[in-house]
Amino acid sequence: MADPLRRPEQISPRSSPRDRGSRSPACPRPDSTGTLKTTISLGKNPSVKHTGPFYCVKDIPEQSEITGSTNLLHHYGLEHSYNKFCGKKVKEELSAFLPHLPGNIDTPGVQDNRYSSLRMLIEKPPITGKELSQLSGLALAGFRLHPGPLPEQYRMMHQMPSKKKKHKKHKKEGDKGNALSEAQTVDNASDAESRKPKKQKKEEEKDKDGKKKKKKEKKKKKQKHSPEHTVSHSGETGS
Amino acid sequence: MADKFESLEQQLELFIENTRQLGIIVSDFQPLGQGQNVLNQKINTMVSEMQEIEKFRPLLQDVHVPLEVFNYIDEGKNPNLYTKDCLEKALEKNEQVKGKMDNLKRFKGLLMVELTKVFPNEMNMYRALKGEDRLK
Repeated sequence: MADPLRRPEQISPRSSPRDRGSRSPACPRPDSTGTLKTTISLGKNPSVKHTGPFYCVKDIPEQSEITGSTNLLHHYGLEHSYNKFCGKKVKEELSAFLPHLPGNIDTPGVQDNRYSSLRMLIEKPPITGKELSQLSGLALAGFRLHPGPLPEQYRMMHQMPSKKKKHKKHKKEGDKGNALSEAQTVDNASDAESRKPKKQKKEEEKDKDGKKKKKKEKKKKKQKHSPEHTVSHSGETGS
Repeated sequence: MADKFESLEQQLELFIENTRQLGIIVSDFQPLGQGQNVLNQKINTMVSEMQEIEKFRPLLQDVHVPLEVFNYIDEGKNPNLYTKDCLEKALEKNEQVKGKMDNLKRFKGLLMVELTKVFPNEMNMYRALKGEDRLK
């Protein structure tokens, strides 16, 4: 009597009977747990009867306001961002994102130095927690400069940010340089020819044709003025 | 929020610019000039700039950066490409889930129709139990 939960009429339909010990199967109670209930009767004629509802009667979950079928980009107001980033082509280079940074920043961070990548900040974190203080005169002595040019490997920094166009030109120049150097070698001459751009090839062909024509014209002129030509000509006329 | 990012950005740009100038001093060192003194001044300027950058640390504790974006930057790629990829993936997944849900709804409707044909009484009971509205 003291425990009101033991009254069957006050038990919540969602509550599990297991929590409150064993209950009589004869006691009817609403159930929405979705379990298949059966009554097994023993005796002379043992039988199994389905007394409870089948599992499809399980409560349908409450529909949430946002589901996967709603347009989430629209819901979170990201349409503008989508059009901004996916509508037009985004330049792939890092220098397009940070145009004011000096030096060539488009090369992978792992290439120029093992520790200059951002991932290394996580994998091998730098020493932190120490207070930064100005260097004394003695400490600055370690930074004494030596006269003379800087070694080649440290000159990377002085490439200007406007390298983008220069870089392209440089590439072409590099290709040309390679092509020329290869052209100098006899074996790879044909390869170098094949690497030349079409325009260049056409121009060269035109030049060659022009030179040939000029040579032919010169020859004709020479032949006209040469004594042999006149002789053969006169001989022909004479015969 | 935006102010602290802008001021950090300015501070970082200043630091980078000083590093560039330091590189020029080092590469074009004149032993007879004031190169060494200027270099010493620049080094201490950089230290004070690093101290300024350090001051931003407590202001940016709540800023979370996805680790994947680091890969893009390390590879010399525009980090906006990461945002673009994320948006495209989100839209694709959204479309996939919507397709699944629409198909399941259609399947449920067809199943109800067919079950009603074969088990009319049971389906009536089922409808009565669940309520017509919830079955739609």
